[in-house]
Amino acid sequence: MVENFLAGTAALFGDPFTVAIFVFGVIGGMLFGAIPGVSMLTLAAILLPFTADLEPAQGVMLFAVIYCTGTYGGAITAILFNIPGAPENAPTAFDGYPMTRKGQSGKAVGAAVLCSAIGGVASALVMMAATEPLANWAIRNIGPPEIFALVFFGLAVASSVGGRTIWKGWMSVLLGLLIATIGQDPVGGINRYNFGFTDLAAGIAFVPAILGFFAVSEIFIQAEKKATGKFDAPKVGMSFPSAMELWMHKFAVLRSILVGFFCGILPGIGATLAAFMGYGEAVRWSKNKEEFGTGKLEGVISSETANNAATGAAMIPLLALGLPGGALTAMMVAVFQMHDLEPGPLVFYNSPELIWIVFAAMFYANLSILFIGLIETKTILYLLKIPFQFLAPLILLLATIGAYISRGLVLDVMVMFGAGIIGFLLRRTGYSIPGIVLGLILGKIGEQNFAQGMQMVHYDLGTYFSRPICTILIAAGALTLATGVYRAFASPTNKA
Amino acid sequence: MIETGVWALIALIFFAYSFEFNQPIEIYKFGATGWPRVVLVLLLLVTAGNLYHHFKHGSAIQKGRVGIAETDESPTDYSNPATLAKIIAILFTPFLFAWLLKPVGMYSGAPVFIAAVIWLFGERRWKWIVSITILIYAILLGLFVVALNAPLPQGNVSPFYDFSGFILKMNTLLQKAW
Repeated sequence: MVENFLAGTAALFGDPFTVAIFVFGVIGGMLFGAIPGVSMLTLAAILLPFTADLEPAQGVMLFAVIYCTGTYGGAITAILFNIPGAPENAPTAFDGYPMTRKGQSGKAVGAAVLCSAIGGVASALVMMAATEPLANWAIRNIGPPEIFALVFFGLAVASSVGGRTIWKGWMSVLLGLLIATIGQDPVGGINRYNFGFTDLAAGIAFVPAILGFFAVSEIFIQAEKKATGKFDAPKVGMSFPSAMELWMHKFAVLRSILVGFFCGILPGIGATLAAFMGYGEAVRWSKNKEEFGTGKLEGVISSETANNAATGAAMIPLLALGLPGGALTAMMVAVFQMHDLEPGPLVFYNSPELIWIVFAAMFYANLSILFIGLIETKTILYLLKIPFQFLAPLILLLATIGAYISRGLVLDVMVMFGAGIIGFLLRRTGYSIPGIVLGLILGKIGEQNFAQGMQMVHYDLGTYFSRPICTILIAAGALTLATGVYRAFASPTNKA
Repeated sequence: MIETGVWALIALIFFAYSFEFNQPIEIYKFGATGWPRVVLVLLLLVTAGNLYHHFKHGSAIQKGRVGIAETDESPTDYSNPATLAKIIAILFTPFLFAWLLKPVGMYSGAPVFIAAVIWLFGERRWKWIVSITILIYAILLGLFVVALNAPLPQGNVSPFYDFSGFILKMNTLLQKAW
């Protein structure tokens, strides 16, 4: 492994043009990841046609680098403005933004930089060591029932976060699941709930919905505060987390690396669920659960470590099995195909140099987050000094373009602003926006895998429980729900 | 009660609409309505639970809840009609902008939208409103039109469509001169 890694490093840094592509990918991913709605996917889509002129290794490597740094980039806006650059940064905002309100933005962004780098580097190392054996294990043990069970567990965890009561947490998740049913059903392709709009046949796109629920509703909340004289500008804080503070969270980091890696390895799940589950597990294991959501460093650490830990793992099904885990890895399949290559086990034998340049590039891209991210943080924190009345139209306009650009539909912009108004009203009444978003993201994956799983076991639910991973995940999800039911009926309230 | 009514109405509407696509799928026993109807039943059950909680504890926050934002805890006083009008204007101005995107387009609509939002957020110094509007518009054109060539809505009503055409023509000339 070490020789291969060194050979990959030499190939990466031996050619100035490859280095230039690497640097472009690092900076481009960070910048586009930080623009709400536009995201690294937009950059990747723009670059896709140009990769035909590159060497196959350069093309795949560029996308891998954008994937790593773009996943980190979205954390910045999540922390500073409560506007996640991408769904995988949504849980980062839970505690990151309250930290900004308390004048601890530097600490939150610093932790995000460091933990993204740690999660990503660890993931890259495990990916290098274990792609082949892990892929073999996954292909034997992970099927639709396991993916459904994981989605069930993820939703059960999500319902316990964010709502004023457990009931409102569940209602939020169910609303997200209901919104996810709009569009074609994932088995038969039958149109559902399009209410006469043909554009709705493709369903509610994630990007406009997420921008609406998070970014636009946040602008409305701040606008309401301005109108009622309660507006309090976020404070700029430049203090970074100390080594001791980070050391105190070593178990959270380790746990999130494991969670992120496990979620990343599953096709179709990826970094978003990793971030939510990383956060959820941090809450579950904490002795001070109530402090989460009020500006707890551990929340930022858990979410950002987990989503970057998923990036390396997401390359495993792609490279070893040819299965893309998400939109960006699907574009990487297109890069392979443009060069008459098929991702899959044979790539390891036919093009080992390509594999090891990509592995080395991902390792160094995650290290780059540490250095470039720290420099970037110091500059970007000054965005908070811009008066909100000037920042709000810029954010709204960027969000409008972000919502429109992916599918070229004005309907998506309407959906975004509609979600903004609904999000504003739901937040005012104590519902959980993250719960809605996770329900929306996981709804289709859950339904599809449930249907496939049921067909697989001939509609015998008992067979689900003969599969150990499936049983463990369903039991953990059921336990989470049961605890919620017990609390819903037994727990007293905090304040009236 | 209003909250419960709204949720029940949503569930009812979605359930009624589910008959529109209630057809069997040959390879899947539960059909296209299976999953959404289960979600709707669960939603109704949880709505009933929420109502029970409300009767027992009012709108109090449950003990041990995680991730409650401070905005959820502070009730706003809407007794002043001017405040209410301002909030409604802020909520619906972006929606109006989105609705006008097809006929007016992004290039003509964006400057008016930017200025309107700045004004609605309480800025009254017209020099600041104009200069920040120009700055944001320049960022929009520089990043998305010149650098990325992103296809933005051009509008379909004259003179807005002509103005979009002019901007795009200028961009083409700029790209050629590059």
